[in-house]
Amino acid sequence: MKDLFGIIAVFRTPDAVTNAAAHLRQSGYSAIDAYTPYAVERLDRIIRPGTKVFLPLLMFAGAVVGAAFAYWIQYWDEALSYPLNVGGRPYNSWPAFAVSTFEFMLLAAVAAGFFGMLAASRLPRLYHPIFAAKAFERASRDRFVICIEATDPSFDPASIRALFEQLGAERIEEVPA
Amino acid sequence: MAMTLTNELPPDAPVVAPDLTLTSLSEEVSNRVLMSRAPLWWLVGFGISFALFTVLVIQMAWLFINGIGVWGVEIPVAWGFAIAEYVWWIALASGGTIVSALFFLTRSPWRSATNRIAESMLLSAAPCAGLMPIMHLGRPGLFYWLFPYSNVMGVWPQMRSPLLWDFVCLLCYILMSAMYYYAGILPDLATVRDLATTRSKQILYGVLSLGWRGSVAQWQNQRVVYAIMSAIMAPMVISVHSVVGLDYAGGLTPGWHDTQFPPYFFFGAVVSGTAVIIMLTILVRWGYSLQKVLTEYHLNAMAKVMLVGSLMLSYAYVWEAFGPLYGSGVADKTEFYQRLFGFTAPLFWSEKILTVVIPQLLWFPAVRRNQLILFLISGGIIVGMWQERFMFTTASLEHNYMPSYWGYFYPSLWDWAALAGTIGLFLTSFFLFLRFAPIVSLAEVREIIEEERSK
Repeated sequence: MKDLFGIIAVFRTPDAVTNAAAHLRQSGYSAIDAYTPYAVERLDRIIRPGTKVFLPLLMFAGAVVGAAFAYWIQYWDEALSYPLNVGGRPYNSWPAFAVSTFEFMLLAAVAAGFFGMLAASRLPRLYHPIFAAKAFERASRDRFVICIEATDPSFDPASIRALFEQLGAERIEEVPA
Repeated sequence: MAMTLTNELPPDAPVVAPDLTLTSLSEEVSNRVLMSRAPLWWLVGFGISFALFTVLVIQMAWLFINGIGVWGVEIPVAWGFAIAEYVWWIALASGGTIVSALFFLTRSPWRSATNRIAESMLLSAAPCAGLMPIMHLGRPGLFYWLFPYSNVMGVWPQMRSPLLWDFVCLLCYILMSAMYYYAGILPDLATVRDLATTRSKQILYGVLSLGWRGSVAQWQNQRVVYAIMSAIMAPMVISVHSVVGLDYAGGLTPGWHDTQFPPYFFFGAVVSGTAVIIMLTILVRWGYSLQKVLTEYHLNAMAKVMLVGSLMLSYAYVWEAFGPLYGSGVADKTEFYQRLFGFTAPLFWSEKILTVVIPQLLWFPAVRRNQLILFLISGGIIVGMWQERFMFTTASLEHNYMPSYWGYFYPSLWDWAALAGTIGLFLTSFFLFLRFAPIVSLAEVREIIEEERSK
């Protein structure tokens, strides 16, 4: 048997792919992934259930670090390194520092989210075995692709093929590793 | 149903054309990017824009060689076109973020097809805004002194100044907008990659899309980050434009020293930003024949936002008059009368007509559906907002506390060249966005199509 990354099935509608995913889950498959042209609701809850708090927390951490850094650099500037008496205002004039602190806090949060999103999605990764599949090409347009990966403990091409056919897949294809 | 002046679109009107499918949407929008030859209107438009852009390059070269004396700025009016246009451009950009981020949070269905136009617009307008104060610096080569960095001179920027806040805001705003744009466009670039037929385009869009596959995990990450980014961008843009207002409010001249400036500027951003998005949407819709994707529904909705913006702006105008008239400051009163009846009176009144009176036509649904009238009203608003930004920048300085210190601002040819040139930069950049990036958010319109199908 040649080395496989997995077997993919192509569905025409979001409902079909969601039903298929639910069915595969019930049949005990665990290494499932789906490739869709947009974020299909319910599908993600079947394939990756549970609340995902990592990225929101990362953005929050980014905001805290960003705010602390921005305030610190202003404090360093105005109170420690280059104190300048402007009309008797306190050197540590926090109301005046609030604006830049706020803006930089948001920048840091967005940057943490942006780069966190790429890292959590394992991007940039220009090559992936799934790209070799002919049927995958339309997953970014108008088809909904589901994949059972070869790492699944109960991976067996013949029975998976039969299962996909039974679920009404438009096309089934083996993806080489 | 007969179209009368007061007929509103039915509440269940389709957001996108009913015969639009996932297949046709992806192909129609991506084909505009993948065309081997640009259409004639694109070449002509880009040519004109690029010619205007060269005006900017020449203007900047002349300005940097000779100093800002080539402009009309003088004592007492030391803030002229450059500062007024800085405010004008940043307002247009802010309007783009408001349409894109604020209406993402409200889940408005019309936002999904227009947000990319709005974001491309803002990414083109923000650099124009950023250039203006740098050109105004006098010693533009030293603009990096605004960064708080450890240097051998041992000096640091003055962090308590609204002008420095402004620099921080604009810098953060541009960086955040770029990330927001890219996080949204990533899946669409993957669509273009998969539809590309030539090797060079496959490689280009393959690299740009960073290998996006649209797997469940990737969508989950993208959706959650994008939603939080939107929730950050919406208040962010309000703060950015408010800080621009603080530049004025922190000034001590009559007419500037007013706490209403931050919200007032923001209202102006809503109306002028929406106006420019409406104009671009109408142009993109015809140029790229995207009538199925960008429908009456979108224009109707944006026209309503523009009307709301215009009403908010008129509220600010009432307060602008109320302050000096109710207060006891002689200089404030004099300055305000000068605006009303003095040298700048024609600008004052024509601007009020363009931004407040004429937009009241948008109460009529038929006007909101007529693209020609909508286009003209939007154009009028943008011109009016330019007059408004110009007027309050110069009029206050023209009539300062001491009458002996009064004087008028006369723009020079180079002032106009800076305006024409930044418009060239804006359009050049927007035309490039049109040519090389999908101008409609495919992933989000797909959701709209599915929602309508399952209705």
